[in-house]
Amino acid sequence: MAERPEDLNLPNAVITRIIKEASTCPLREARRAISQAASVFVLYATSCANNFAMKAKRKTLNAGDVMSAMEEMEFERFLQPLREALEAYKKGQKGKKEASEQKRKDKEKKSSSTDENDKSRDEEEDEHMDDEQEGENEGE
Amino acid sequence: MAATESAAPAESELDRGGAEDEPRGAEPEEDAGTGQAGPIAAAQQHRLAKLPLSRIKSLMKADPDVSLASQESVFIIAKATELFVEMIAKDALVYAQQGKRKTLQRKDLDNAIEAIDEFAFLEGTLD
Repeated sequence: MAERPEDLNLPNAVITRIIKEASTCPLREARRAISQAASVFVLYATSCANNFAMKAKRKTLNAGDVMSAMEEMEFERFLQPLREALEAYKKGQKGKKEASEQKRKDKEKKSSSTDENDKSRDEEEDEHMDDEQEGENEGE
Repeated sequence: MAATESAAPAESELDRGGAEDEPRGAEPEEDAGTGQAGPIAAAQQHRLAKLPLSRIKSLMKADPDVSLASQESVFIIAKATELFVEMIAKDALVYAQQGKRKTLQRKDLDNAIEAIDEFAFLEGTLD
């Protein structure tokens, strides 16, 4: 396993919140130990997952490798909640991609338009009420 | 940045959001997923994982054998770590209660690690 990265501890406030929600108030020493344990967990899980990726001759660690690692580490109880979380995450990512692609398309439309024909296009884009649009209206 | 493959805008948003130490406990919602577009969606993305993905990614990169990790894998490890913290906190609580205490002490943790097979990998790793 890799060296212990003291600088890469996870945020104390988040760790404390997770502990309190699941259990009870941790004394400072206990919280520090759990935080360290969490870092060790990440390193161990990463190493395990990486073994699966290397076995499959892949250079990129993927979600499936992590799932296999959880099984290997005897944390099968995590598999179901992790699968559900992954689904939610993928949906969120898809929504974000579509949103940013839409924004990009809108920008391209605006930058290429300079004449009055844009009036009809502007009416379609009524969600994008910003300065550029007002600028074009002034030019009419 | 070389350690992950992903759509560039999504990746940079994750890093921006995950880099601070500020307590996420201040945010009232968790896993709210209402599907709003724009920066709100980005913020809600973070709430799917309580731990900052950028910090998790840095830890993963500490392993010299790891070259690239997908964004999804970073997220899954973050989520798994959260589940791990919940699990060990709950198990340590049992020992605290045996000692008629309402706060977790270091020894409760040590007892849990010794008693539970899944935590065997932690032996000898904590200060």
